[in-house]
Amino acid sequence: MADKVEWVLDYKQALDRAKIEAKFILLDFFNPQ
Amino acid sequence: MDAVTYPNRKVIDFIQNRLVPLQLASDAEPYATNYGVKWTPSLLIIDAEGKVHHRATGFIPPPQFIAWLLLGIGKAFFEKDMFGEGLECFETVIAEYSYSDSAPEAVFFRGVSQYKSTHQIDGLKMAYRVLQEHYPGSTWANRAYPYWLLP
Repeated sequence: MADKVEWVLDYKQALDRAKIEAKFILLDFFNPQ
Repeated sequence: MDAVTYPNRKVIDFIQNRLVPLQLASDAEPYATNYGVKWTPSLLIIDAEGKVHHRATGFIPPPQFIAWLLLGIGKAFFEKDMFGEGLECFETVIAEYSYSDSAPEAVFFRGVSQYKSTHQIDGLKMAYRVLQEHYPGSTWANRAYPYWLLP
């Protein structure tokens, strides 16, 4: 069980994982400042 | 979101089990431009081809956020013509998060999904009745208004 949300930080990697795991993606654009 | 919603135990479990979580800075190009990001947080449910199915701008507290995610997953299934899978999501929003901002939209899409999968108008008529009874001031009650004319 994860202690926090384990974010993917690479767009293409997330798309590949979504294909493999048959899931949709939560995409969160955050303020970097 | 990082201070309140994402540390929530139920939110963590839901995201880890049901979604691939992707976080990008709002100045990460070409993605920010391609997805029309103008303010943060910008939250989107996208599929493995990058197509957007659901989006919101601004903070969402934990219980509302799980309902919002479920609605988004349901809409993604709906737009892929996977009506049974979408229905499960809409039903969960309606049953477990009836107080949430996402519930009226879930009622609407439950009705439309039932119609799309069975071609029976009962689902649309029920959506109209439920929205008028439980969410009469909502946008989704207005959108379902024509369904009362169905025979």
